[in-house]
Amino acid sequence: MNQQPFVRIFTAPATLCAVGFLAAMAAVLQYSLRAYVPGSLDPGGLTLANFADLLKPLYARVFLDTVVVCAMTAVVTLIVGYPLAYALVRVEQPILRSILLVIVVTPLFLGEVVRTYAWIIVLGNNGFINSLLMSLGLIGKPLQLMFTSFGVVVALVHVTLPVMVIMLAAGLSHIDRDYPRAAESLGAGPIRVFLTVTLPLSLPGVVAGTTTAFAWTFSAFATPQLIGGGRVNMISNLVYQLGFSSFNFPFAATLCVAGLALTALVLGLLRLASRPLRKIEVH
Amino acid sequence: MTPRSTYQKVLGWIGLLTVFVIVAFLILPAAVVTIAAFNDKPILSFPPQTWSWRWFGRALAYEDFRQGFFNGLIVTTWSSTIALCVGGMFAFVIDRYEFPLKSAIEGILISPLVIPHFTVGLGFLILAAQVGLSRGFAIVVICHVILVLPFVLRSVYVSLRNLDQSYEHAASSLGAGPLRVLATVTLPLLLPGLVSGWLFAAILSFNEFTASLFVTSQRTQTLPVAMYNYVREFADPSMAALSVMYIVGTAALIAFANAFLGLGKVLNIEQSH
Amino acid sequence: MKPSANLEGEQAAVHFDVVSKRFDDVVALNDVTLGIGRSEFVTLLGPSGCGKTTLLKLAAGFLGPDGGSISIEGKRVNDIPTYQRGIGMMFQNYALFPHMSVAENVAYGLKTRRVPRAERDKRVADALALVKLMGMENRKPRQLSGGQQQRVALARALVINPTVLLLDEPFSALDKSLRSSMQVELREIQRKLGLTTIFVTHDQGEALSMSDRMAVMSEGRIRQLGSPVDVYRSPADPFVASFVGDNNRLRGQLVSIQAEQAIVALGDALVQVPGERLSGLEKSAAVDLFVRPEQFRIVAPGEPCVIKGSVVAQIYQGGHVDLQIECSGSVGDRLLVRSPGEQAVLRWPMGAPVGVAIQADRCSVFPAA
Ligand SMILES: Nc1ncnc2c1ncn2[C@@H]1O[C@H](COP(=O)(O)OP(=O)(O)O)[C@@H](O)[C@H]1O
Ligand SMILES: [Mg+2]
Repeated sequence: MNQQPFVRIFTAPATLCAVGFLAAMAAVLQYSLRAYVPGSLDPGGLTLANFADLLKPLYARVFLDTVVVCAMTAVVTLIVGYPLAYALVRVEQPILRSILLVIVVTPLFLGEVVRTYAWIIVLGNNGFINSLLMSLGLIGKPLQLMFTSFGVVVALVHVTLPVMVIMLAAGLSHIDRDYPRAAESLGAGPIRVFLTVTLPLSLPGVVAGTTTAFAWTFSAFATPQLIGGGRVNMISNLVYQLGFSSFNFPFAATLCVAGLALTALVLGLLRLASRPLRKIEVH
Repeated sequence: MTPRSTYQKVLGWIGLLTVFVIVAFLILPAAVVTIAAFNDKPILSFPPQTWSWRWFGRALAYEDFRQGFFNGLIVTTWSSTIALCVGGMFAFVIDRYEFPLKSAIEGILISPLVIPHFTVGLGFLILAAQVGLSRGFAIVVICHVILVLPFVLRSVYVSLRNLDQSYEHAASSLGAGPLRVLATVTLPLLLPGLVSGWLFAAILSFNEFTASLFVTSQRTQTLPVAMYNYVREFADPSMAALSVMYIVGTAALIAFANAFLGLGKVLNIEQSH
Repeated sequence: MKPSANLEGEQAAVHFDVVSKRFDDVVALNDVTLGIGRSEFVTLLGPSGCGKTTLLKLAAGFLGPDGGSISIEGKRVNDIPTYQRGIGMMFQNYALFPHMSVAENVAYGLKTRRVPRAERDKRVADALALVKLMGMENRKPRQLSGGQQQRVALARALVINPTVLLLDEPFSALDKSLRSSMQVELREIQRKLGLTTIFVTHDQGEALSMSDRMAVMSEGRIRQLGSPVDVYRSPADPFVASFVGDNNRLRGQLVSIQAEQAIVALGDALVQVPGERLSGLEKSAAVDLFVRPEQFRIVAPGEPCVIKGSVVAQIYQGGHVDLQIECSGSVGDRLLVRSPGEQAVLRWPMGAPVGVAIQADRCSVFPAA
């Protein structure tokens, strides 16, 4: 087809945005290679020292914690999200479907702060769960739920659930209903139909959902900050602390770069592990 | 009704129960926050002994929240409108034309989906300092445009894919040039996709927190940033009251979007039969 | 005027000159040359995937050719975009703009041509009258039945007085009776307006009944171009013979060939057949006879015949009866024989032994594949 003159006009703003974003990322990369000058906002000369500092046990520990929290969150979210996604796709009654959809989607748009705050009220020492259990006489003194990895993961699962459900539902909804019907006609019971047909065909959605859940959790800041309260630290918290408490922007940038590399590595591994699945993507 | 065995029925009930429990988990925080918001006492306690509306009044009167709300409106309006224009035009040309660097630009603009927001925020904070841009609204808006662009691109792109090209072919066979086709056929048919893309972007931008924490200043802080600062300093239920308003407002917007645009279609989770 | 040869670029309303088009590794069109005369109605017929739509899209300008040139009214249009070609097109799914009323849809092409308001209104009304759709002006397309939408689409394509009308399987979504009445109506309108028309279909019945000339396509090539009678009577190759109309293929052996006539052995029998497509073939080479069901005649077992067999199926079609005959020899396994009237049902019952005679002078013979 003939190249239209307006194509260039239509791409120009997007190109500008892409360049701006690249510049911002380049700025991070550049800072990560500069020395920290205490007491000054401007960075010093070129150095690789920041990257060497990453190997200090303190920071290595935070990296490890982050990966563990992200992995746990992704797995739990997957297990909790699957039944909900399945229900969302299979419910046929329009009203029920709409209600379910709104319940699933609304938290996605609520933002991390509101949801994290709500979990503080649920998990706190005077919070909902402890008050409930104490008034039922099940416990004598409050359970410690805040400032634990458990609390952080529960809240993060809640934060990540909607996006997981949406991605799983997208995968499930593209499975032709005739496949499970065919299996059923061949004598497979509901569980066998699910395990041999529906589940394998939905695996691309599972991979997409898990990947996104991992990336989102990695990005979370308010939840580990407020519910972890300094006792559960993720890379995001460290970056903020370095930047705004000690103005060590070069090292904050280094952590960002390392975080990006880590995300890329994990996502790459997930992709690699799921390569055999690509064959079964059905459209 | 399809005929079912007892076994299938039992499985069905178990499934239903599971879904019920998960839904309960999803709405638990919202329910608890709502109860907390009506507690008359300034300290958290369950169940509340006395009830009142007063924290709603406090939340609405609190200066930082008011300021944050209006700042948020400014940032959201600008960023989602700019993102819609930029992303809409770009989605159109990537769907229809080949040009140099097409997939490179697309890849860069989609990448904020998997890049942590604190990295994006830090990047724009440093960039603003390097180019001498003051920490005003401009940098916040730019940062938000980048963050919501992937969603706008996707939403418009999906609508374009679903748009039958024969309408445009018909228009050009009747003598309409490319821009006329765009204005009289493509845009009107794309309108629902554009509206939902804008809405999507607006809601995301209004709620964006982590990157905003980096790029806003005291003067430009948006509502989520103001709320974060409040939670760190105070424990009274004003925040709970504000959260309730937030939840109700967002749920209403989503229900509206679902009724008029069909969220299932936008999110690509309609069952194919 | 009914041009019989492939027209040269100068005289043709639309001319494809050695046009080729490929999609990645799929060759959609392979050096297609085709000329279409003014006011002529030409159908492109072929199985799904043979390149019909691609050829039409090249004429419309939705695609550009990889090689060769396309001209409309003697003017090369390779680099002219669709909207400057002055074509009219009807789409398979109608492509009526859903956000515009019937009248706005029909007026669209006039607006792009800046036709003044008064004239525009008149021409829209005339076009809607032509397709018998008065009084529907303000409806939206979704408020119309399939047949009515079809008419709006036709009116929209006609109102701009296109130099050529392009139709891509326009009737495939209609039920049978509506389809045949639309076929007749389209032809009437086309004759009345003297409109050059290219019509794509995969339905050979539609092609035979509507065309001035038809181009039979397969795998990106035109296999035969000619009037429906020519194509039906003397197919150019085995593909056309088996694609257009019902045909039986019989395997035989060439005995002798003289001028236009050849003698072919079918089992024990000898038949005299047209030999123009067998020139240069060795004696005793294998040949394929294509015999139409109506070129067979069923005779009682004792009478002279070419093939013996028994009736295995009777298909009563109202005006005629189709019989399937299982044969004993090596010429073929099952024959489809058409017998006019309805007596055949009683006369040749299931299982009856019968003989089959051939009107061999009208069948087509090719070297065996
Ligand atoms: N846009 C396209 N991309 C790739 N292949 C195509 C495209 N359009 C058509 N083809 C291929 O070209 C061939 C001819 O297609 P088409 O002209 O649509 O056939 P027809 O209309 O006769 O059914 C087919 O093999 C088809 O798969
Ligand atoms: Mg076709």
